[in-house]
Amino acid sequence: MEIKGEYRIAASREKVFAALNDQAVLQACIPGCESLEMLSPTEMTAKVRLRIGPVSAAFSGKVTLSDIDPPNGYKITGEGQGGVAGFAKGGAVVALTADGDDTILKYDVDAQVGGKIAQVGARLIAGTAKKLADQFFGKFAERVGAPPPVAAA
Amino acid sequence: MYDFAYHRPKSVADAIALLKGKEEARPMSGGMTLIPTLKQRLARPSDVVDLGDVKELAGIKLEGANVVIGGMTKHAEVATSADVKSHIPALAELAGHIGDPQVRNRGTMGGSVANNDPAADYPAAVVALNATVTTNTGKHAADGFFKGLFETALGEGEIVTSISFPKAEKAAYMKFPNPASRYAMVGVFVAKTASGVRVAVTGAGPCVFRVKAMEEALAKNFSSAAIKDIKVSATDLNSDIHGSAEYRAHLVGVMARRAVDAANK
Repeated sequence: MEIKGEYRIAASREKVFAALNDQAVLQACIPGCESLEMLSPTEMTAKVRLRIGPVSAAFSGKVTLSDIDPPNGYKITGEGQGGVAGFAKGGAVVALTADGDDTILKYDVDAQVGGKIAQVGARLIAGTAKKLADQFFGKFAERVGAPPPVAAA
Repeated sequence: MYDFAYHRPKSVADAIALLKGKEEARPMSGGMTLIPTLKQRLARPSDVVDLGDVKELAGIKLEGANVVIGGMTKHAEVATSADVKSHIPALAELAGHIGDPQVRNRGTMGGSVANNDPAADYPAAVVALNATVTTNTGKHAADGFFKGLFETALGEGEIVTSISFPKAEKAAYMKFPNPASRYAMVGVFVAKTASGVRVAVTGAGPCVFRVKAMEEALAKNFSSAAIKDIKVSATDLNSDIHGSAEYRAHLVGVMARRAVDAANK
């Protein structure tokens, strides 16, 4: 299934792109992320605990960055095993365009879910994926676009 | 099923004490969603706090212009209650068509509303009738209560104690059920109460929503003809093997007109 979205971020493309590559920013924005460790500048391992309605599942897997084209965008791919619950994998193509002082972030997610979670929750997967994508990019836009804290005089 | 500690408290205060401070503890009302989830091992709570013995959460009573329904009231009880049938017949009718007889005799109103499944029927009634959700910590207006897919305004250690529905002047609920699960592919609750006309849609999107354009048209002229040209956008609606977003958008119009006609009978 595919999900698209768009956010306006009050920051330059360079700043947004740097944040998209910042482990601390990604960890703070990935919904339910308990840990995110860098293996290399483009590979990370992640532990994510998600709770959607009655279902709660812990996924462990890896996050890979590819098609890196600063400051225009990249592709972020995640793949996780949730034990008995099943597996989830998905990639988001992120494109940044400048609009005055702001940056328009467009994402295009393609996600697949398999195993038990997909069998019993088929009707809920699209809504869940959309919600998670919105949570991630919403939080990201808020965090990166936030004005810098005012230094005490 | 994984192991968990099972509790059966007798009061709301005891239930809250059991839930407090335990991140993986879950309250259970009828268990119609939680138990299948546990059986599939899709959740692993440390504690399950069964509210079945909490007498203060059961029952239906009249309070002035409102019908107040306890959180642990089963769908079958709402469907057959003389008070609900005489003051808000549409709500009794809705309850009588939730799931199957097994679900209606176990599932509860508080559980359904707290779970906020995107295709559940009750959220449409709560929003359309502008009901008030009462919990152990306070009251929530219908409009702010349902926040998104499986998301409500309920905090940790907060359970639905009752829901207060204003009596309706005119109301009806029409749903297009999935033939296997009886979940609403699209369900539309139309109500005219003291606070105005409301149209609430469930099943079509990730969460119950109102159709303001229909509400305005119906406020001027409460007839299905008044809304026949109002189209609902398919953007953000659910699309799955049962139906596309465009199909669901079309169904919203059809169900809304049928509901208005039924309310006028």
